[in-house]
Amino acid sequence: MGKSALQKEKSRTALLFGIPALLFVFFLLGIPILQSIYYSMTKWNGLSTHWIGPSTYIKEFSNPIFWRVMQNNALLLFSVPVAIVIPMGIAFLLNEHVYGWRFFRSVYFLPTAISWVVIGMVSLRFFAQEGLLNDLLKGIGLGFIRTDLLSSERGALAAVAITFIWSMVGTNIMIFLTGMANLEISLNEAGRLDGANNYQIFRHITLPQLKRFIQFSFVITIISAFTALFSLIFVMTGGGPGFGTTTLEFFVYQSAFAKGDFGTGAMLGLILFVIMAGLGVAQLALTKSKD
Amino acid sequence: MTFKKSVTFVSMLGFSLVMLYPFYFMIETSFKSKEQFLGAPGHSLASWRKLTSAMPVWAQLTNSIIVCAGAIIIILILSTLAGFSLAKTRFRGTPYFFLGIVGAMLIPLHSVIIPAYVNISRLNLLSGYWGAILMYAALGVPFATFLMTSYFRGLPDELIEASIVDGLSFARVFLRIALPLSIPAIATVVVLQFIQIWCDLLVGLLFLQNPANRTLTVGLGALSAGRTTDIPVLMAGSLISALPAIIVYLIFQRQLVAGLTAGIGK
Repeated sequence: MGKSALQKEKSRTALLFGIPALLFVFFLLGIPILQSIYYSMTKWNGLSTHWIGPSTYIKEFSNPIFWRVMQNNALLLFSVPVAIVIPMGIAFLLNEHVYGWRFFRSVYFLPTAISWVVIGMVSLRFFAQEGLLNDLLKGIGLGFIRTDLLSSERGALAAVAITFIWSMVGTNIMIFLTGMANLEISLNEAGRLDGANNYQIFRHITLPQLKRFIQFSFVITIISAFTALFSLIFVMTGGGPGFGTTTLEFFVYQSAFAKGDFGTGAMLGLILFVIMAGLGVAQLALTKSKD
Repeated sequence: MTFKKSVTFVSMLGFSLVMLYPFYFMIETSFKSKEQFLGAPGHSLASWRKLTSAMPVWAQLTNSIIVCAGAIIIILILSTLAGFSLAKTRFRGTPYFFLGIVGAMLIPLHSVIIPAYVNISRLNLLSGYWGAILMYAALGVPFATFLMTSYFRGLPDELIEASIVDGLSFARVFLRIALPLSIPAIATVVVLQFIQIWCDLLVGLLFLQNPANRTLTVGLGALSAGRTTDIPVLMAGSLISALPAIIVYLIFQRQLVAGLTAGIGK
């Protein structure tokens, strides 16, 4: 077979093999994202849609509930550093390879295989009046605190955030263990010879080598916080009390499928898309600038 | 040194308890009757006996398997083909193909779910399994293609080209050489997608309109939202739903880790 015939065969195969996936993704995700733009400018009555222009946007941007929901998303961001620092610490401990570390690693990863639906159900009992949290508080002599986190708006959001952190531990430990497996140990020894103490070695030698992994876990954790908590919220709080735990993704579902307002739901979904795409581009720019 | 090691060991042990507590709670609670959960002493099998009347566990287990298998088969066919095309047949359009398929990873489910729901309902696919299967497949294909592309890039070009020169077609090279060599990547895709689809609530909740088609996770979600206060029964159901995922995890832990950390790149 000649060179040009080979090239022709290559192009033909490229199209033949690539087009099914491209079309599949285009029809099921690409077209809907474009339709979302159209839907967000229409009013939907269950049978037909009619064009109302950007009035949904104007209405929502002056709706205090919308801003409350955005605030909930912003508050969830506070859980992100915690969901990174704790797993990083644990990964360092695991990386010392003390007796039984393989077993511990398996235990820590286990929640990764469990549905948020199941996690949410257990978590609900943990935070309940008669749950383990209050038993523990009583056990250490803090019985007077006796909380019912889920009954207050901020408390419920905190309960969701704590459960979220617990669920992210496995994934983030995996990421950091992968990073630590690639550490250059010889650099530590060089640093020690130069008189650096443990903190200095961590700060100036270990941390820079882990930067890429910290960045990756940061992105994964934010993506999860904003787009993966639906089941957890559905099971634990249903978005309440009030709008205390309604995040943007849950608000999309509520608006469209509980209230039947498809136009508003589509608009909220688009806002989520813009936030996530912005995050993706920022991550790409960060990685590029480093290369 | 030994002191430091024992402190590490003890803190890891303590942390294990935090991670294992939900499993202990599920198992312990499921072996109580409703009254025992509310304070009466002892354990019993009452809740396990009630489970099948509270939710059709076996039918839902079958549904979960059907939906997972259907979606994973579509994902595997599309992503191995596209991955091979993107990695091994560089032509002018390749970067756009890559962007078009893999770029879709940036689209959150919630941003497309309303139009997708309307489209699929217009195609009358909400009542069987197909609506959910198609949605799960569409959500899985971008990342699976990304994984397969990076894996196929690692296979030497010479191997492919030599076989072509020897007279094999690209289709043959794909089936006879590339696919068998990519079993590890395929395993990663299967395990990752299985866990994701098995554990998902939202897509199933909306795209499996007929309660008889509900997956186990959706069945549990619906039951827990239905103001059922029979927590021991819910915990028994949770255990049944978690068990297959735990077994897959224990067997394929390495593939799962590979999948979850694949996005970091080299």
